[in-house]
Amino acid sequence: MTFIVPIGPQHPALKEPEFFKFEIKGEEIVDIDIRFGYVHRGIEEALQRRDYKHDVYLIERICGICNVVHTTNYCQAIEQLAGVEPPERAKYIRVIILELERIHSHLLWLGIAAHQIGFNTLFMLAWRDRERVMDLRELISGNRVTSATNTIGGVRRDVKTEQVPTILRGLDALERSTKYYIDLFNSDRTILARCTNVGILTKDDARKLCAVGPLARASGVDTDIRRDHPYAIYDKLSFNVITEREGDVWAKSIVRLREILESIQIVRQAVKKMPIGPIRIKVDLNIPRNEAIERTEAPRGELFYYALSNGTDRPERVHVRTPTCANVASIKRMFLGGTVAEIPIVIWSIDPCFACNDRVSLVDSHTGKTFNLSLKELRKWRH
Amino acid sequence: MNVKEVTTLIKDHVDEIKVANDKCLFATTDKQRYREAMLALKAQDVQHIFTITGVDQGKTVEIIYHFDCRPAVLNLKISLPKNELRIPTITDIFPGAILYERELMEMFGVKVEGHPDPRRLFLPDDWPDGEYPLRKEWREKAK
Repeated sequence: MTFIVPIGPQHPALKEPEFFKFEIKGEEIVDIDIRFGYVHRGIEEALQRRDYKHDVYLIERICGICNVVHTTNYCQAIEQLAGVEPPERAKYIRVIILELERIHSHLLWLGIAAHQIGFNTLFMLAWRDRERVMDLRELISGNRVTSATNTIGGVRRDVKTEQVPTILRGLDALERSTKYYIDLFNSDRTILARCTNVGILTKDDARKLCAVGPLARASGVDTDIRRDHPYAIYDKLSFNVITEREGDVWAKSIVRLREILESIQIVRQAVKKMPIGPIRIKVDLNIPRNEAIERTEAPRGELFYYALSNGTDRPERVHVRTPTCANVASIKRMFLGGTVAEIPIVIWSIDPCFACNDRVSLVDSHTGKTFNLSLKELRKWRH
Repeated sequence: MNVKEVTTLIKDHVDEIKVANDKCLFATTDKQRYREAMLALKAQDVQHIFTITGVDQGKTVEIIYHFDCRPAVLNLKISLPKNELRIPTITDIFPGAILYERELMEMFGVKVEGHPDPRRLFLPDDWPDGEYPLRKEWREKAK
């Protein structure tokens, strides 16, 4: 007989509301079901009711951690619809902020991953270093988290020459500590014991189930939108796409850590090569009927937008597909055959950024079958 | 496959091909032929589907399947009249489409036939039946 272990929607191991239902036999996980929608806010519908400019602010609030990549993707899609190109300097500034966001997102991930395996010292260290990136982001955009930098046709704030030495100093400190974390992941006994051969996703499954980002790269799928479909000025910068073959939690961690080093190199190149010039152009936002798709590489993987204009100042349709949505299909494969103790770190290894909804689950003690109750049915039970 | 190779591969299974730029093309097909086009893509090792977008076009709902043909992106469109919103699942060809089809069902009321897990994805359990929030009728009603 199997047992159900519900994790979520509110649970200490989860940082956002989502619901995982694990079916276990002894210690072994035999099935898993996931429910979303807990923080579904209907943004796609709301986008159609607002104009293009207003939508930038709404898009920025889809995700706190990766707000810049969402606005970059949206602005690039709308620029494509309108047939305009932002100025060169604006593209450089976008790349600088995007890469700082990737560093901050990966360090945030590292901290929580360390916390999930009970390594709280590393959690403190990683979040201390994350503060350095937050300071740099604040220096450039005026905000720690929601940068409000992007706009249709360019960016709203310039990177000043006198800020460059501070940025470079911050990057040096980050590089030193990231190298230390990579050493740690290669040598520390606790980390190796908790992360190797755990939550494995094979290359075949990763491709078949359309996994994206660090999750796919850790399974040996060589994919990165920044290289395969360069946007902004990624085609003028040199960087490596990090891949590992193992597909376990350790590989996912090392991919993210090594990506921080690549991001540091990208920012260094960008501040050096940045040309002088305007940072935004005016765009006529009564865009004739047109359609466009746009892809960017978010910290969690490929972000995809479809936009359709209709001749007015409001979009007819904007569809957003976030990287976590693409990676959820792979979760099941990573858990099956694993143990209960692995659950927190394996959930966190995809760096989830999503939510869910569920009512009440009842388990029939004779058959072990589970039923879900809707709110209507639940109300009946109350009386 | 680049844009040219994708065009040659699918031209028998589609009506109209619009090349947006050197890496992106839009093609229109119908319910009878779309599976042939997808099987042809799969035979060329196209495995990655970005997502499925639904667009309310007034009398019809347009379904757009976005495929990564490395480096080209193919957007395959099918229009379904609103009184006949049914389409067979593609999860047997592209297993990664499982969540996107669920989203299409709850947001547009398209019945995806043969879907292995046709539950709601984002909307709550007590969301009323027959209300599809991304349809134009719903927007008019909610004004």
